Amino acid sequence: MYSRAWVRVQSTFGEPLWLAVNLAVPLLSSLAMALLYASAGISKYTGFAILGGIMLAFWGNVLWSMASQFNWDKEEGIFEIYLVSPAPITAILVGMSLGGILATVPSAALVALIGWVFFSASINPSWIAIFLTFILALASLYAMGMLMSSLYLAYGREAESLNSAFAEPINFLSGLYFPSIGIGSPFPFALQVAASLIPLTIGMDALRKSVFYAGNVAAVGVDLVILAVMAVVLLFLGDRALKALENRGRRQGTLVVRLR
Amino acid sequence: MRLLKAIFAAAWMGWQREMEWTNPVLSLFIKTVAPAAAVLSAAAVYWFGSSTVGLFTPGRLAFIVVGASLYGQVAAYVYVPTSAIAEGKWSNLYPQVVITPTSSIPYLAGRCLASFADSAPIVVISLAVSYYVSYALFGAPPTIIVSPTSALMVAVALILSLPSAMGLGYVLGSYSIFVSRWEWALPSYVSGVLMIFSEALFPANVLPYPFSLVAQALPFTYLMRASRAALIFDSWTLYLTSLTYLLVGGLIFFAIGLLVFHLAEKSAREKGVLDKKTM
Repeated sequence: MYSRAWVRVQSTFGEPLWLAVNLAVPLLSSLAMALLYASAGISKYTGFAILGGIMLAFWGNVLWSMASQFNWDKEEGIFEIYLVSPAPITAILVGMSLGGILATVPSAALVALIGWVFFSASINPSWIAIFLTFILALASLYAMGMLMSSLYLAYGREAESLNSAFAEPINFLSGLYFPSIGIGSPFPFALQVAASLIPLTIGMDALRKSVFYAGNVAAVGVDLVILAVMAVVLLFLGDRALKALENRGRRQGTLVVRLR
Repeated sequence: MRLLKAIFAAAWMGWQREMEWTNPVLSLFIKTVAPAAAVLSAAAVYWFGSSTVGLFTPGRLAFIVVGASLYGQVAAYVYVPTSAIAEGKWSNLYPQVVITPTSSIPYLAGRCLASFADSAPIVVISLAVSYYVSYALFGAPPTIIVSPTSALMVAVALILSLPSAMGLGYVLGSYSIFVSRWEWALPSYVSGVLMIFSEALFPANVLPYPFSLVAQALPFTYLMRASRAALIFDSWTLYLTSLTYLLVGGLIFFAIGLLVFHLAEKSAREKGVLDKKTM
């Protein structure tokens, strides 16, 4: 776990230009949405857009550096090395998640800094609630990334197209830049329930409450419990899915087949 | 004739790469889901913000839905040259294209045409989906004029945006020749910058000076304006003025792009980096 995390951290901090590369999408998307809020005469919500950009940095990392990673590793011949090593695959995935989080923190921090410098969005934070929400939101998001990683392993090259297809609908449903559940949501109740199955939705809702409305731990308590349950369930499902697909791959001889 | 044949072959290859990797209907669906969701995200941001302070207007919603849908077309072009050259280097296709008698310029032109062909229906579908979903979610339809004339006007504007798209494509292609890591970085920045500077979501005058001037200088801004003139404002004057700027700006972009790409490829030949895969 430590080794895989270390590789990921080194690959980012050893090449500072990666920071600029990782910054592009979350920064420019959040600036565009903040300007959209400002252009409509509602500057008080620009902070929602900046917060969305911060979480987009992590969500992008989950999609492109977790979900797709085993597929890329397979294409480059690294996956078979994981398999023959004594390290459990789940530990490698957890290490990849921890490394990914550490590697994404600078991009997310820069989005926050640049966003707040440009728009001076007013916040009313409850720091303990923010910290707990952030940790649990990341835990459940990366656990989802682990589950997706095992599924994408089976899909091969189609994984990239699936990533491109899933990213925006999940951004929309999870309310990355606007509330998609609860007060202010444009969605009907059924769609809000469906959106709540995505950890990012619950995470964003709780973060908005704790960053902008001084929502303390009690105010976001239900969200925290849901996020914790999601993290455990997704981690369990990811582990099971990975084992099942690994066994199937071993039997069918497709585990190390590249470019399917 | 040889040139046309090369462009057609490249366009066909681009189409195969973009659409034929799976069932074409599934491929179209997968390619449409993301732009449609992006349009709806922008519309929802506007709806949420404006409705809480009582400033919501269907006209402004239409402005956002049309611009964000067309942005999908602009963004699609940005990734084509990188995909053509960066992937071509990895698969050894690009060096083979360079040594053909017609060189890589018609190759990139063909790939851009393929991108036009596959992204134009996506724009139409995402516009239609966004219209109906916006109506269902926000209870107010975006005020868009749908008629054969307005559709034809948008189609003409899209076709006239090709020179600017190809010009941008050649400039990004020049970058892709020289890099073998972070090849997706510049296209990501360019597509993000275009989201802010092309009037996709808000008028250019929202941007502080001198950034607003940058937006006015981009031909893509006039694609948005011409399309909105056809679909929202029903203004022939605005349409024709925007079309003129789009064409003139596009031809300048195209000429600059061709020159930059020609010089970049020449330099890459001299430096021996045409097939370089590592840094």
